[in-house]
Amino acid sequence: MMKKTFLAAVSAAFILVPATGALAQTKLTRNEIINSLQGAQTEVNISADELQKAAIENIEKYPGANAPQSLPLADKLASLRQFNLEITFAFDSARIKPESYETVGLIADALHTPYLQGQTFFIVGHTDAKGPREYNLELSRKRAEAVREALVTTFRVPGQYLFAVGLGEEQLRDPSNPDAAVNRRVQLINIGYK
Amino acid sequence: MRRLILALSAGLMIAAVAPAGAQTVGFAEAIKMLSASCGKDIETYCKSATLANNGITQCLEQNQSKVSQKCNADRIVVISLIQERLAAQAAAPKECERDARQYCKGVAPGAGHLLRCLLKAEPSVSKKCNTAIDLAGYR
Repeated sequence: MMKKTFLAAVSAAFILVPATGALAQTKLTRNEIINSLQGAQTEVNISADELQKAAIENIEKYPGANAPQSLPLADKLASLRQFNLEITFAFDSARIKPESYETVGLIADALHTPYLQGQTFFIVGHTDAKGPREYNLELSRKRAEAVREALVTTFRVPGQYLFAVGLGEEQLRDPSNPDAAVNRRVQLINIGYK
Repeated sequence: MRRLILALSAGLMIAAVAPAGAQTVGFAEAIKMLSASCGKDIETYCKSATLANNGITQCLEQNQSKVSQKCNADRIVVISLIQERLAAQAAAPKECERDARQYCKGVAPGAGHLLRCLLKAEPSVSKKCNTAIDLAGYR
């Protein structure tokens, strides 16, 4: 929440003219996603493979029920333009439920605007801390991949700009409540221009 | 209901040369129609299909004898709505090329700078370009 407020403040200079007849205030809108993601400066020197590997190494290096510390790349990632989304999947599966189609469509709407075109994005899947870490990592990776696939195929977002990563429970949003629902999320991170 | 009629009429207007009052809808709006009209059928007949590679719409087509009438009608509309918006977005830069040159001299392309400039210059921008921006959903 703190971070979101901070990002919103930073993006104030870039705020869009709100679309006329916008959706209800409480509902997620395309422009909210754009406002949080746009304004990336130069490209960030970090690859999706590198990030994926760091999460796997975190489990190998610090085994146990829960990750004792966050990823070494966490600070770097936290400084980037990003947005957290809630997407509902079928239980223990990477199948996106129909109730979340609209959210995936909103991501497509945002990524297809000139404000975000040509920039590279990570689609990062996260779980809560219930269950084994390896399993969570793999499930979140498949789910991130499912979102990417839907964007690239059904909505024709250019695939060369989208990378799926699964961080499982290695990067909890609320480490003091590891099982809380707030930890289950899909995070979009703007990596900038190539 | 009104939205459905609009969507249906938009679907019928494919290939027409941008008739006055034509409009397209966003990807979220289009795909929401699929979950609203076909959500139950998807959970019944397409439990293993995914949104990727048009898996859901293909599955619904394969099961068209079983899915609801409304779903059968709307699944086709949804596909054309997505295609229309994609086409409108692909066309917009070309439709606005002249206006961009005229009203946005020195504006660096990329990161939406040109679009921001064109939106600001709306009263002077040609009808052709303003319509293209509308149809692309860029306003």
